[in-house]
Amino acid sequence: MIPTEDQSADEVGADLVVVTCSVNGESARVSVPPHRTLMDALRNELGLTGTKTCCAEGECGACTVIVDGATVNSCLMLAAEAEGCDILTVEGLGAGEPGGLCDLQESFLEAGAVQCGFCIPGQVMAAEYLLRTNPDPSVDEIREGMSGNLCRCAGYQRIVAAVELTARKRATR
Amino acid sequence: MIEQHGSEREALRTVGAPIRRYGGAARVSGQQDFLADLPFPDAAAVALVTLPVACATVTGIDGKRAMEMPGVIAVVSAADLPQPVPRFGISHQDRPVLADGEVLFHGEPVAAVVAETLDQAEAGAREVEVAFEERPGVYNVDQALATGAPLVRDPSRRPEDDENRDSNVLETALYEWGDTTAAAGEAAVIVENTYTFPMVTHFPIEPGGTVAVPTDAGGLDIYSPVQHPYLLQRTIATVTGLPLSQVRVFAPDPGGGFGGKQTPRLEPLLAFLALQTGRPCRLVLSLEQTFQMMRRAACRVKARTGFADDGALIFHELHCDFLIGAYADVAPRVMTKGSYVGAGPYRIPHARTASRAVMSNTTPSTAFRGFGAPQVAWATESQLDAGARALGLDGLQIRRRNLVNVGEAFFRGPYEATADGHWHEALEKAAELIGWGQPLAPGRGRGIAVAIKPGATSGLSQSLVRFLADGSAIAYAGTSDMGQGARTLWQQILADELGSPLDKIRVVSGDTGVVPFDLQTSASRSTVFMGNAVLEACRDIRKRVLALFAESTGVDEAMLSEAPGVLITPDGELSLLEASRIALGALGGEFVGQGTARMRGRKGHPLGGDAAFYEFNCTAIEVEVDVETGELLLHRHVSVSDVGTELNPIQVTSQDEGASIMGLGHSQMEQLLLDDHGVIRNLGALDYRIPTFKDVPVELITHGIENHDGPGPYGSKGISEGALLCTAGALGSAVSDAIGIPIRDLPLTPERVWTALHPDAADHPGGEEPA
Amino acid sequence: MRYYRPATTAQAVAALASQPHTSRILVGGTDLLVAVRHRSAQPTLVVDIKGVRDLTAPISVDEQGITFGPTATMGDVIAHPTVREWFPALVEAAGLVGSVAIRNRASLIANSANGSPAADTSPPLVSFNASVTITSVSGERTSLLREFFLAPRRTLCEPGEMVTSLRVPRPSPGSSSAFERMTRRRGVDLATCSVGAVVDADGAMTVGLGALGPTTLLGGPVAPIDLTSQEQLERAVDALLAPATPIGDIRAGKAYRTAMARVLARRAVLRAAARRTDPDRLTGRSS
Ligand SMILES: Cc1cc2nc3c(=O)[nH]c(=O)nc-3n(C[C@H](O)[C@H](O)[C@H](O)COP(=O)(O)OP(=O)(O)OC[C@H]3O[C@@H](n4cnc5c(N)ncnc54)[C@H](O)[C@@H]3O)c2cc1C
Ligand code: FES
Ligand code: FES
Repeated sequence: MIPTEDQSADEVGADLVVVTCSVNGESARVSVPPHRTLMDALRNELGLTGTKTCCAEGECGACTVIVDGATVNSCLMLAAEAEGCDILTVEGLGAGEPGGLCDLQESFLEAGAVQCGFCIPGQVMAAEYLLRTNPDPSVDEIREGMSGNLCRCAGYQRIVAAVELTARKRATR
Repeated sequence: MIEQHGSEREALRTVGAPIRRYGGAARVSGQQDFLADLPFPDAAAVALVTLPVACATVTGIDGKRAMEMPGVIAVVSAADLPQPVPRFGISHQDRPVLADGEVLFHGEPVAAVVAETLDQAEAGAREVEVAFEERPGVYNVDQALATGAPLVRDPSRRPEDDENRDSNVLETALYEWGDTTAAAGEAAVIVENTYTFPMVTHFPIEPGGTVAVPTDAGGLDIYSPVQHPYLLQRTIATVTGLPLSQVRVFAPDPGGGFGGKQTPRLEPLLAFLALQTGRPCRLVLSLEQTFQMMRRAACRVKARTGFADDGALIFHELHCDFLIGAYADVAPRVMTKGSYVGAGPYRIPHARTASRAVMSNTTPSTAFRGFGAPQVAWATESQLDAGARALGLDGLQIRRRNLVNVGEAFFRGPYEATADGHWHEALEKAAELIGWGQPLAPGRGRGIAVAIKPGATSGLSQSLVRFLADGSAIAYAGTSDMGQGARTLWQQILADELGSPLDKIRVVSGDTGVVPFDLQTSASRSTVFMGNAVLEACRDIRKRVLALFAESTGVDEAMLSEAPGVLITPDGELSLLEASRIALGALGGEFVGQGTARMRGRKGHPLGGDAAFYEFNCTAIEVEVDVETGELLLHRHVSVSDVGTELNPIQVTSQDEGASIMGLGHSQMEQLLLDDHGVIRNLGALDYRIPTFKDVPVELITHGIENHDGPGPYGSKGISEGALLCTAGALGSAVSDAIGIPIRDLPLTPERVWTALHPDAADHPGGEEPA
Repeated sequence: MRYYRPATTAQAVAALASQPHTSRILVGGTDLLVAVRHRSAQPTLVVDIKGVRDLTAPISVDEQGITFGPTATMGDVIAHPTVREWFPALVEAAGLVGSVAIRNRASLIANSANGSPAADTSPPLVSFNASVTITSVSGERTSLLREFFLAPRRTLCEPGEMVTSLRVPRPSPGSSSAFERMTRRRGVDLATCSVGAVVDADGAMTVGLGALGPTTLLGGPVAPIDLTSQEQLERAVDALLAPATPIGDIRAGKAYRTAMARVLARRAVLRAAARRTDPDRLTGRSS
């Protein structure tokens, strides 16, 4: 089925895409206009407001989520693209853990990495992916792996400490 | 000031410990609700209409086509508001709710579209037709001060007796002691230079926004992540004519403020939209819009400084022009306060600082961490280095020679200000941590700088604390918790003073409907002012427990005494909880304590009053310069602040690290670039660069000097701005040490450093069309 | 805007042909969705080709070279052992594109197909003599990548067409390569300018130039020189940079960009040359 050209670019909400995917281990089904980003769909359609919006163009990392095992700037992915995907957001990270926080989230608190907290969900997701792909990162590797996530409170040093702390915890587990 | 005895300090359990951030768990798990996360199911969305130029006369606004668009509820322009269009502001009520016949800066809204959905509002906004004629504007200090320059504000809008009404100068300040002209003859060396500090923007990661909700009673609930809810409440009441009791402000914790979320901007507009449509109206800003709502004043400083042979300052003269923007906001105050400490924490026999707040067709500048001090410190610190170079001294020697000792005046005259801390300790500590005097690898340089910033000069903070029947406690404290972790400190104070476990303490803030008045969260004032209010409220509770205990048990009050967490009776110590149970008896209940911290201003004082404390910082940097590219690699960055007492060491460290890196932002890479129409060219995250993880110095070391000599609880002082006051000076000094050439314009981008090394290759960055 | 996820290449190109001027291919979205946000692109149809089953595989290696398919991401490129061995400059460039999350999505082919003169992977690809296959309803054609770029944002890939593969011939034995880029800050940034250099076993040099002209440019080849001679090196750099026409823009002035081109070209050439005999940790020498 090829869509026809009867649609003007400006006509909003005229067409809806139904997306079925898994979000934090539960299956989700939303109906969204095609231009809707995954970020907006998570926040508005699914009420998962832990994923934040700042730049909306891939520069800040506040909207970072993990899709099929890899980090994605959810502001640069259409919700429609998530069909059949397995999505992990900050809300799903500590689910089932005592106190609702995973070891990484605990480490962020322990290391004093949380200031205003707005960038933190994105930071946590980027750090989780970093540790999954590199369980024992050096400081340089952490800085490189996290460099897509801005923190204007500039808790960068504390976040590096939190990632190192988590790596140590996981190594002895 | 609250007396604090050594033994009592030892009794503290949580104060001084690295207690985890209050509200931290919600923030790491995504549960913390910031403004954009609050659900308003029946809210209408708002989109703003703006022009592609910075300065224009608006000749017509036609919303007919927009009104016909699907979902559009209202198209509102100045003509739809009460006439004359209400204006608001702190010192000058000059900012219109919506552009009124003219646009004075890029991004100033001329109309607003309210629609059922955001997509519809934005589509509607694109259909609003605005007829306008661009006017010549002024976008930098030179243009604004040129003879015959277009005036940002028509003289008819200014008081008749305003001597500057025919210019773009909004306000001036002059601080002077001694006689700089006469003193020039005594100087062995005189250095004279001009320095510039760029326009930079706060770039909070939370862009912010406002939701205005009409209430059934005809009032308004305003939701906005402001640092200053009571000011917003007053502003809304004033522009709408509603009584204060009908305006309730909910201030969700800001996702970063840094001064940028202090003053009202679009909230009055949202209030009118809500009143006119009868619908909750919601506007969540884009990052680009946030750039257009807040920035730091740019500054040009002409400095002339004389030194004796031994490096002692003889005189120091500064002419500071702050480029403030199209409306006053708090910029005049930024100018006066930043200039007040402009000459630096030095022993200067003759000084003169003459400053101007210069209007321009740019985003109104506002409070920004450091509040005018970093701009002038850049010049003063660079001048100290220039003097040192001329005299064959180094940066440490010349500062040792001139830095005031505790109790000594750095600002002279009737409103003299003296050092309220052992600042030399910070200087020496920073020198030690940077390895001053040790051999440097080739291509490297070291620099050191100091600066001060006055804390709050007057104000009122109030707090209520409830000590509940089970020993849990609630503090009501209006301080907004924007990242500095204010609530954590209140929690610590309650825990220690009442003996309540940390996890049984709640802190309520951000709702003018239930929390008592607090002036604002700014000038690093909260720890001192609100801290003392909270402390006093806790002690009030202990006194009440004591009194009621005496009454209930018949023990003579004189036989009882109280101390943190306990009531001391003739039979021994009781925990405060136990004592309160006995005191309350079968009826139960709770204790409510009240605390107030009020600081009165001083009449005639140029700042309105003496500063409650000064933030002092010394920063030292070791940098490596790639002379082929001009790139800088910071090997070590040391920041030492005079903190009085670290109430929570981990929060002090994170504030100092954060401010240091923010300081590197304006020192190394940040600047708003405008085109010939005053349009921001690097509007947004793509071309406005702030430091990332990879821009953090190889080693970043912060240290707090603790002499327990502050006016805040347990001898604390305000922190959180200090570490960016003199970052630029330290970096500039290190770079010039490495390359042998001083650079006087910020930021020190690779291109600027390279250009300094290749003066012949002059070429304006950004001169031609983008690729 | 409509969203369409075809299952075959034929469906994809047919969809593109149905609205040739207002349809856009979507892969990683890291360029397209930014453009849509800024309304510099207003597609009526977005064709997401990530579900196309008969697409060229992301990365396939044979004796003569490597073929990349439209869905190969920067992350795939960086991780692939043969790419690392044969094309160190490409790996360096791909590793500098955006952040980790961007590289997880950004596709190699789109970096070139997007037609930005500042694209990081295009200079090394041009210096490696890469070619692209362009497919439409009327068939396939192949072009050298260096001829693919016509103007900023304009390539040989016409409306209704799609790049279906990118072929990079195996480098000649004993050659090696390196990529250098200048940015305004150390973290994620777009290039002020960039140079990818290939130095052959005999010392012949070729460069690809980024953000130094309206499109990605090819410099050289330049005959072998004595690399220890400063003078010869400067002359070679002159020749390699001959096609460059640097301008001033928001990221840098003309003088600085011009000077940086020289610095980067020199550094890239020297690093590529050194790598031929002294493989660093990124890669072995091409054999
Ligand atoms: C935060 C951020 C940082 C970035 N940093 C860099 C950087 O450092 N260096 C750099 O070079 N780039 C950078 N980019 C740009 C971008 O990531 C790259 O250009 C990327 O390779 C594009 O791939 P994509 O799959 O995301 O393209 P898409 O956005 O999916 O597509 C881009 C364009 O190419 C077209 N297209 C895609 N595939 C094909 C095809 N097979 N045939 C024909 N046309 C096609 C699309 O229609 C679209 O017009 C950055 C982007 C962001 C958002
Ligand atoms: S909001 Fe997605 S990267 Fe900034
Ligand atoms: S904690 Fe405030 S932006 Fe990172």
